[in-house]
Amino acid sequence: MAVVAIREVRKKFGSAEVIHGVSIDIADGEFVVLVGPSGCGKSTLLRTIAGLEEISGGEIAIGDRVVNDLPPKQRDIAMVFQNYALYPHMTVAENMGFSLRLRGASKKEIETRVRPAAEILGLLPLLDRYPRQLSGGQRQRVAMGRAIVRNPQVFLFDEPLSNLDAKLRVQMRTEIKELHQRLKTTTIYVTHDQVEAMTMADKIVVMRDGVVEQVGAPLDLYDRPENLFVASFIGSPAMNVLEGRIAQDGSATFVTSAGAVLPLAHAPQGSAGRAAVYGIRPEHIGLANDGVSAEVVVVEPTGAEIQVFARIKGEEINAVFRERHRFASGDAIRLAPDPAQVHLFDSQTGRRIEGADPDQTLGEERRLEKTT
Amino acid sequence: MKLLTLRGVATEAKLLLIGIPVLLWTLLPIYHMVLFAISPKDTALSGALWPEHPTLHNFAVVFGEEHYYLSHFWRQLWNSFFIAVTTGVLTLFVATFAAFAISRLRVRGGRAVMNLALFTYLIPAAFLAVPMYRTMGVYGLLNNQWSLILAMVALASPYAIWVLKQASDKLPYELDEAAIVDGASQMQLFRLVYLPLMAPSLVAVGTYALILAWNEYLYAFLLLSRDTAIPLSVALGNFLAADDSPWELLMTTGLIYALPPAAIYFVFKRYMAVGLTVGAIKG
Ligand SMILES: Nc1ncnc2c1ncn2[C@@H]1O[C@H](COP(=O)(O)OP(=O)(O)OP(=O)(O)O)[C@@H](O)[C@H]1O
Ligand SMILES: [Mg+2]
Repeated sequence: MAVVAIREVRKKFGSAEVIHGVSIDIADGEFVVLVGPSGCGKSTLLRTIAGLEEISGGEIAIGDRVVNDLPPKQRDIAMVFQNYALYPHMTVAENMGFSLRLRGASKKEIETRVRPAAEILGLLPLLDRYPRQLSGGQRQRVAMGRAIVRNPQVFLFDEPLSNLDAKLRVQMRTEIKELHQRLKTTTIYVTHDQVEAMTMADKIVVMRDGVVEQVGAPLDLYDRPENLFVASFIGSPAMNVLEGRIAQDGSATFVTSAGAVLPLAHAPQGSAGRAAVYGIRPEHIGLANDGVSAEVVVVEPTGAEIQVFARIKGEEINAVFRERHRFASGDAIRLAPDPAQVHLFDSQTGRRIEGADPDQTLGEERRLEKTT
Repeated sequence: MKLLTLRGVATEAKLLLIGIPVLLWTLLPIYHMVLFAISPKDTALSGALWPEHPTLHNFAVVFGEEHYYLSHFWRQLWNSFFIAVTTGVLTLFVATFAAFAISRLRVRGGRAVMNLALFTYLIPAAFLAVPMYRTMGVYGLLNNQWSLILAMVALASPYAIWVLKQASDKLPYELDEAAIVDGASQMQLFRLVYLPLMAPSLVAVGTYALILAWNEYLYAFLLLSRDTAIPLSVALGNFLAADDSPWELLMTTGLIYALPPAAIYFVFKRYMAVGLTVGAIKG
């Protein structure tokens, strides 16, 4: 277990820079998820931490050692690859014990370290099998077992679940989290799936195009996205975003470019008439008689909730209800965004406009109030 | 049961029409060889489809070295064996390290070197025989079996490197990275991960080089001349020097000479086909 410090790290492939000065502080025992769209540099960053890629600038420290120039084997890290990378000619036990064997450990020592790890992962009955005789989920577990046996300072995972089917993915997600709670090893986990990020992370790092967009606890990112990118990336279904301006007349409303009037809790100081983007999550839209009139386009019930795609003055908006409303396509309904949950963003920079919701700092209390 | 459509039958018939003549064409010389080998000396050229009194006498003569041309039979068979096996082993040694360096360690310029080596195949090996003779003369290796072995390794290596490089390119690179993170040095990576996974290709390439050297005539003829140094292939050629060549003995020895490659082929056939990498990664 160790802290990991990533300071102003840059990575170039030839002349193309793909990581543009990334800094992340990871506390001892923390579970950090790097998330972002395909090609944003998550794997590359993880591989620089592993030592599989050299960095072109900055500094990486694991524990109190700067590891910039250390080869992978001296960094005391273990990595789980997306495609598992199990040695096909070795049994499960041999795969798991390989790193110990390389260090010249005795057969007995290997055995005493492999067994407990196999037990944790439910691999005991499979120890003599070859990778080709295992299912996808079992291979995944062997790959993790190989990492656990090493008892490293840091675990690195690169999209370890993306080759599994949806159901298994959810199950393994829980298993990995349980494992982390048990071993308390600092973990850096890469995924492009924001649900995985939200459910597993102590801390999420959202990346785009080689830069960090925001770092924070899952619910902080959810409640206070710092920019439009994070706002639309975190949360499923995604946040609705509508372009327009804050009302001229100083009232706490927002007028979309199509002319619909949406409520705000406050108009931020001196912002009357300012061009902005209005963000509201589907689950923060309710029904009310004084709501904005909308036309239902598609209704998708999932059982626990229903998702409604509607149009406000021609603009698509997505709302999620826990109640079983019986809507049909073409129905006229009145949608009411919860003003306290509205996010405003600058239409030029995409940055969050502060002050739209003065309650934000009290967010925690508000949540408590609501549940009581 | 397989459903035989008219189209299927037509395709199959076409294949048979091509296949049967090809098969006969290949088997015919072998049939003649066998026919000679089991015929008594005077009836060998009688033209009968099968000898009236088949005999193993010729084999007894060969194994007993009871003819002038056969006076070093066992020694020459051993020479062939030694040269072929050593060539196979050396070629494997050179080609495996080269392929590992080019494909896995990605040594700078490795590909260029490989392509240059392949380039030598543009010149038929026969044209290189005399320059090779000169070279070996300069190094004082003439009449030494190592001259033939080195020549054969030089001829077999470019192809062997290329085949092994293609095969190692197919091994997932994540395996190397996993091993590196696990703490493997380059030698450990080579020995514990690369070699076991390459085993099927190594068998194929080793066999290729071995049989190439076993069947070599021209280079052996040029580079070696002492009766106790030459391989059996050259000794067989020497049979033809006389006017009254003992055909039945030549064919018997030839038949014996053809058996090891056939045996090797059947033994290793299955190894060459097995894909060991199944289950390494999920693609
Ligand atoms: N070896 C390489 N040589 C050149 N460019 C590379 C190399 N590896 C990655 N890149 C580039 O770096 C960028 C980041 O790649 P990376 O694999 O880190 O993305 P990622 O965030 O992991 O995406 P994904 O979710 O698809 O795995 C991409 O634009 C990619 O093309
Ligand atoms: Mg990736």
